[in-house]
Amino acid sequence: MTVSERGRSTLEDSVVIRGLGKTFGSVEVLRNVNLDVKKGEAVVIVGSSGSGKSTCLRCINRLEEPTEGHIFVGGHEVTGKGVDLNALRRRIGMVFQSINLYPHKTALGNVTLALRKVAGLSKAEANEKGRRHLELVGLGQKADSYPAQLSGGQQQRVGIARAMALEPDVILFDEPTSALDPELVGEVLNVMVRTKELGMTMVVVTHEMQFAREVADRVVFMDHGVVLAEGTPEEILVAPEHPRIREFLTRTKS
Amino acid sequence: MDQIIRYFFDFPLMAAYWPDILRGFLITIQMSILTVVIGIPLGLLIAIVRLYGIRPLNILIIFYIDFFRSIPQLVLIVLAYFALPYFGLVLEPITATVMALAIVLSAFSEEIFWAGISSVAKGQWEAGRSTGLNFTQTLAYIVLPQVVRMSIPPLTNRAIGISKGTTLGSVVAVPELLNVTSSIQSNVANPTALTVGALLFLVLFLPFVRFTRWLERVYAHPR
Ligand SMILES: Nc1ncnc2c1ncn2[C@@H]1O[C@H](COP(=O)(O)OP(=O)(O)OP(=O)(O)O)[C@@H](O)[C@H]1O
Ligand SMILES: [Mg+2]
Repeated sequence: MTVSERGRSTLEDSVVIRGLGKTFGSVEVLRNVNLDVKKGEAVVIVGSSGSGKSTCLRCINRLEEPTEGHIFVGGHEVTGKGVDLNALRRRIGMVFQSINLYPHKTALGNVTLALRKVAGLSKAEANEKGRRHLELVGLGQKADSYPAQLSGGQQQRVGIARAMALEPDVILFDEPTSALDPELVGEVLNVMVRTKELGMTMVVVTHEMQFAREVADRVVFMDHGVVLAEGTPEEILVAPEHPRIREFLTRTKS
Repeated sequence: MDQIIRYFFDFPLMAAYWPDILRGFLITIQMSILTVVIGIPLGLLIAIVRLYGIRPLNILIIFYIDFFRSIPQLVLIVLAYFALPYFGLVLEPITATVMALAIVLSAFSEEIFWAGISSVAKGQWEAGRSTGLNFTQTLAYIVLPQVVRMSIPPLTNRAIGISKGTTLGSVVAVPELLNVTSSIQSNVANPTALTVGALLFLVLFLPFVRFTRWLERVYAHPR
């Protein structure tokens, strides 16, 4: 299936998911998930634990192998055999709940590794670009610090810089603040807001409802492996029609 | 006391034997270094091959590791020297000893490297792969540097332990340090030669131990 075969024009679309299904053994984790993310849009996925948010996100860069459906990123199909996965993944940034900085590399080294080895920049070019992106997340001064010398919030900002430096079509955030002490959450969310303002396309799984309300262009509510509802933050998070969502919201507020 | 000194530290008595002792010492150094520079990289190589998860190969690897970790080094040296010729492979005593020890060291170091690789969080792989690095690049630039660091202390212990096995080369008549010094001892009926041998072993292994302690310290704290 090519992009045009799906019907609608897709030049505007950064991420297109059609009929995505995923099973782990006999357990169906995702069923017929459809999602369109336009360029520059921030889509927030919410839903209760185990509803398949992470799996959905990880199918987009194929850290999980979809069992059904098609996914396109920047007009290229991600799914299917014979795809140059490494070239594609370069165009899809990811920020992890567990941050996953390389502990043996400095903040700058974390950001520049893929710039050097994947994007093929020279050392000088990579360092220049790496520093620029560390500045962007407010960590220009910490370029030479090792992850162990940074706070959790600073580490995650380096994680964001690492993803941004490759100038991807989209960045996937999987609960980027869930592992952080509460007082460190704000600085990371602020960086994400700035990332959005820079025009980056973002798909964000988060439990930070205030962030979702203020930053999301669209909110997707997932439940038991399906997209139960999709709409503006207002529609999904403020005045949801669906009882499951209302139940979810009262649960997360407490 | 006097007697002890005369008995164990009668250095003048050694005068005639210094060239032999020195030659033995050099052979011990040579064998130890060869054992380490063959055994450890071979272990790393096997661990990396194992990582690619090719089923029949991995069964073979696990058999190799378990076999060479269980069999006594002495038996292996004897086999390498006396049995291999029946299969058309005639080895010098030194070569047979080094080969046996290096293989044993490779089995132990494979296990150490493998444990290291397994202990690197899955997220490290995912972080690397998500930026477009391929499997081999992720292994080389992200996983292995961490593995090597954490493997240094256990590898050091193994390497020293197995290098001391060079003394077992005496069963196939390698004129290594302990062999030389113990035959001098029986020739002159005075164990000073063994004292000299022990001191030289210290000279050989102590710097090695100190060096690796330093390495451990450097790696424990970045910068
Ligand atoms: N590797 C796996 N093998 C088997 N089952 C898995 C695997 N990964 C996830 N699952 C299952 O798939 C379902 C969806 O998991 P997923 O991690 O996508 O949920 P989630 O919405 O991200 O939840 P959370 O909010 O807790 O992160 C869960 O029931 C989970 O147990
Ligand atoms: Mg999750």
